[in-house]
Amino acid sequence: MSSTDLTPADFAKLPRQHDADQLTRPSLSYWADAWRRLRGNPRAMASLGLILFLLAFVTVGPAVWTVDPSAQDVDQIGIGPGADRHVTLTAPLTPWEPQTMAPPKASTDNPLGFTLAEPATTQAVRLTWVDHDSPHRLYRNLFAPADTGSYGLPLADLDTPYFEDRLDLQPETYYYTLVALDAAGEETDTGVTLTIDVTRVISFAEARERGLIGPDEKAEIGQTLELAWHPLGTDYLGRDMLARLMYGGQVSLFIGLLAPLAFVLLGVVYGSVAGFLGGAVDQAMMRFADFVVALPFLLFMILFKVVFGIGPGESGILPMLAAMIILLWPAPARLVRGQILQIREEGYVSASKLLGATTPYVVGRHMLPNTLGVILVTITFQVPSAIFTEAFLSFIGMGVAPPTPSWGAMCNEGIKSMLTRPHELLFPAIMISATVLAFNLLGDGLRDALDARMRGAE
Amino acid sequence: MPRSTTQNSASTEPAESISAQPSATREPLLQVDNLHVDFQTYGGVVQAVRGVSFDVAAGQTLAIVGESGCGKSVTVQSLMGLIPMPPGRIHKGTATLRGHDILASKFIEGRDVRGREISMIFQDPMTSLNPTMTIGRQIAETLEVHRGYGQSQAFSRAVELLEMSKIPEAAKRAKQYPFEFSGGMLQRAMIAMAIACEPAILVADEPTTALDVTIQAQILDLLADLQQETGMAIILITHDLGVVARMADDVMVMYAGEVVERGSVDDIFYRSGHPYTQGLRLAMPTNKHNEDGLPEQTLIAIDGSPPDLFNPPKGCAYHPRCPHAMNVCAQQSPEQYALKPTASSTQGHGHQAACWLHHELCTPQGGRS
Amino acid sequence: MMEYAAKRVMLGLLTVWFIASATFFGMHAVPGDPLSGEKALTPQIRANLEAKYGLDKPLATQYWIYLGNIAQGDFGISYTQENRRVNDIIREHFPVSATLGILAIVFAGVGGVLWGALTALYRNRWPDVVIMFLVILGISVPSFVMAAISQWSLVNLNQIAGGTVLPIGGWGSVWHMVAPALVLGLSTMAYLTRLMRSSMLEVVNTDYVRTAKAKGIPATQIFSRHQLRNAILPVITVLGPAIAGITTGGFVVEIVFAIPGLGRYFVQAIQQLDYTVIMGTTVFYGAFLVFMVILVDLIYSFIDPRVRVDQ
Repeated sequence: MSSTDLTPADFAKLPRQHDADQLTRPSLSYWADAWRRLRGNPRAMASLGLILFLLAFVTVGPAVWTVDPSAQDVDQIGIGPGADRHVTLTAPLTPWEPQTMAPPKASTDNPLGFTLAEPATTQAVRLTWVDHDSPHRLYRNLFAPADTGSYGLPLADLDTPYFEDRLDLQPETYYYTLVALDAAGEETDTGVTLTIDVTRVISFAEARERGLIGPDEKAEIGQTLELAWHPLGTDYLGRDMLARLMYGGQVSLFIGLLAPLAFVLLGVVYGSVAGFLGGAVDQAMMRFADFVVALPFLLFMILFKVVFGIGPGESGILPMLAAMIILLWPAPARLVRGQILQIREEGYVSASKLLGATTPYVVGRHMLPNTLGVILVTITFQVPSAIFTEAFLSFIGMGVAPPTPSWGAMCNEGIKSMLTRPHELLFPAIMISATVLAFNLLGDGLRDALDARMRGAE
Repeated sequence: MPRSTTQNSASTEPAESISAQPSATREPLLQVDNLHVDFQTYGGVVQAVRGVSFDVAAGQTLAIVGESGCGKSVTVQSLMGLIPMPPGRIHKGTATLRGHDILASKFIEGRDVRGREISMIFQDPMTSLNPTMTIGRQIAETLEVHRGYGQSQAFSRAVELLEMSKIPEAAKRAKQYPFEFSGGMLQRAMIAMAIACEPAILVADEPTTALDVTIQAQILDLLADLQQETGMAIILITHDLGVVARMADDVMVMYAGEVVERGSVDDIFYRSGHPYTQGLRLAMPTNKHNEDGLPEQTLIAIDGSPPDLFNPPKGCAYHPRCPHAMNVCAQQSPEQYALKPTASSTQGHGHQAACWLHHELCTPQGGRS
Repeated sequence: MMEYAAKRVMLGLLTVWFIASATFFGMHAVPGDPLSGEKALTPQIRANLEAKYGLDKPLATQYWIYLGNIAQGDFGISYTQENRRVNDIIREHFPVSATLGILAIVFAGVGGVLWGALTALYRNRWPDVVIMFLVILGISVPSFVMAAISQWSLVNLNQIAGGTVLPIGGWGSVWHMVAPALVLGLSTMAYLTRLMRSSMLEVVNTDYVRTAKAKGIPATQIFSRHQLRNAILPVITVLGPAIAGITTGGFVVEIVFAIPGLGRYFVQAIQQLDYTVIMGTTVFYGAFLVFMVILVDLIYSFIDPRVRVDQ
């Protein structure tokens, strides 16, 4: 740019502008700015969404999925999600007379002649083998012995060459192993394993009883019916998992949300009073808080549970809440007290007092709003902690009493059959983890949104 | 147009140590030419430094003056490689120390310049020292790294340096931690740390802003004494014209990332050629008395605030606040105009001001007051 | 320094007294009496048992006897396993829990500091993203689920390997300790990683790190002397409470992995309402934790010189 392009007119005085004082960006209130920041945080927003979904799941869910969580569907015990729901109508079981049947033949693969006498159903599995005049031992396993190296559950030692298995038959694949015993009763090397698929059957009377066939309906033997649908499967007592998750969620979320709200609020009141009064009173109050922290949580949980005299049928929600509130308030109290002590020294508090503000005004207008951020974040982070505590207590049997479900109690039940029916553990564990994750991420997001402004970072 | 300096190719020979140089030497130690530094932030690109050039000669003190946010700290920190280069970027300009290009990446990332040739002391000594290390160890660290001293040798030298900085009971103090020092003593310790490797240039970024006025004077005297003894150059960053008057040989006034005026300290104070400099001078509280014999009551401040560097204004950055603004000021950026040269200026540039008021077409009636 | 330590220890003793008293009165607030769970008792046997456990005396006397016993380190006799002293139970099983706990804490502490420092240094690059993802998992999955999953994976691992790579339960050799200690330390490690990360991020931006860079100190030295040393302080502060968390987590791990530690006994005692075992173990654990916290605080004051002089 050359200065020869300029004319004297360019050097005429510029009319005074008054926009020199303008701020270049619109000013936002603290909360508006924090919300804007939070909105821009995708993980926090996703967590918020997840939390809202979970709340809807446990509150509105039962109105939509109206299955009773304690109802037992005995035909579908411990089934996984998406399992086959079909059942075949069959005649009632008639007594077996194996002696009247043609004896089985042995073969090179099957030296014992171990065979299935008739199609295997959930009513009975009938097995027979060649009579060698020596006893045999029968095992049953849900897993192939070749994989696990074990024959499984010993059903019986038998002298007669036939056996009718009616023990808790499920529509699964069973591996039956027959081992020949020698004269001393020891197992020999001769063993045969059969892989048998058991089909689910139901008798006409049972079907009518369970409402699968209407009172006036006609049905024929061999017809397939459909059992009730359990989208997430059932537990070891045949109770619908989805319904249990919803009701269990009510308990877990109730405790998880209410307890932190309560004990944080208690801590806030205690801590603000201590911080505000300061001096010896503050020291004494904090000493007491230290003592409470040292108390062993587990013990007092149990004490509360026992002291409240929990009878059968009552859930243990109230004592758990009471214990958490009474034992967990010191941490937020300490936090808030620290904040108040810090804020007391800040310039704007002195300025406000100098301008003639009364104490309630200073506390309400200056101190509390500046601690709200910390309080909010604390509550958000205590929720996962409370949920874990409830889950842990239910896991060791010190939580809510059955049949009230809670996610922790469901995990406890699910662990026992983890290897065979993983869904019983998986679903409540996922629910707990998802909730905890969501609150943790939300807490992170809140802290970033509120703190950054406090620290003046951009 | 600012004069471009000839560039030497970057050589790898180590810099010689300094011996005291005669004050008449005008040979610039550090030459910075047309430096541009910007930052990529989520809100856009912040142009923090927009074309800054200056020289520093041995044994001289250059003061860089300006409001908060004008880019003075970023300028020197980028020379030392202290600006994190992901958000920050030097996208134009050169800087040579004794002829070596110090903006080349091996110097920026390496440690030949930082702490050895150019060292820096910061504004708040309380937070600028590691709270979990003794003072003596922190000083000794520099010597161990740059001079290869052993631990005990470095520590005893550290004690000597503390004595040079006039800290009483230096041997005892060297074993103490920062929180056991007062602000003024900590700043002395920082200075001791900075001169440990006998740097060519000491950069002091607002060294007295966080200190009491009486301590201020002591610290500035200490710096002046050390400069006499070692012959090092000092770049003093400040917004306090009183400090400038006391310490500086040459002054550079910055506004919104640009140099608006430069010259000797006398030029700036008695013959300032830029409305901003004049405004700064007038804003200093004085103990002048008016005609009635009573002390002056009103402080004359500069209206408005510095511009947003996300979007620097067209034309001269100062024009919204300038009482002499003309039409051209809002449209085009002024060049650097050489004002009457004086003998005392050591700046290779002489006395310059970036203001349209010095354009030949500007008549007294037109814009000047 | 000694004064500080002595003061803390005195306070600690006071706290232990508080715990013991609270426990005593708490247990006695339980309705019914400790012997009600026994099989049918004739009045004579009952009287004998009452005398044995001192239940026939007034409450205040029982309290003093109780305190006196505790001061001498005597926690009484188990209710359900009569003739078994609580002290013996503690003596046999605590070392197991302690070993497990120490391994877990070491694992959690070292891992937490390392990963946390790494994520801060490589902020928003792939190591940060990967580690933080694992950390989030670590704090979201409940410990008992983690224990169960690890057992299940061990079973599969052993199957695939065709033998026993790591035992899935029990105690006895070094190999038995690996899996439970890992599982136990995992959630604490995740928590410490997060803490270390935010502490490190703060430290990385401090003025004194800027000074160290301005001095030209090499990056590794800045990391160890200036950044790590200062960033680790908050982590050490929470180590005390973290030990408490590891202790409770230990209960679950001991149960799932069938480890004969004190925690498993404690839970059993709870389920059987064995009063003396519950009380004794509670007071013991309480005292243990109190002194662990004091120990950690003393270690902290070694590292942070500011604390020493203030006290």
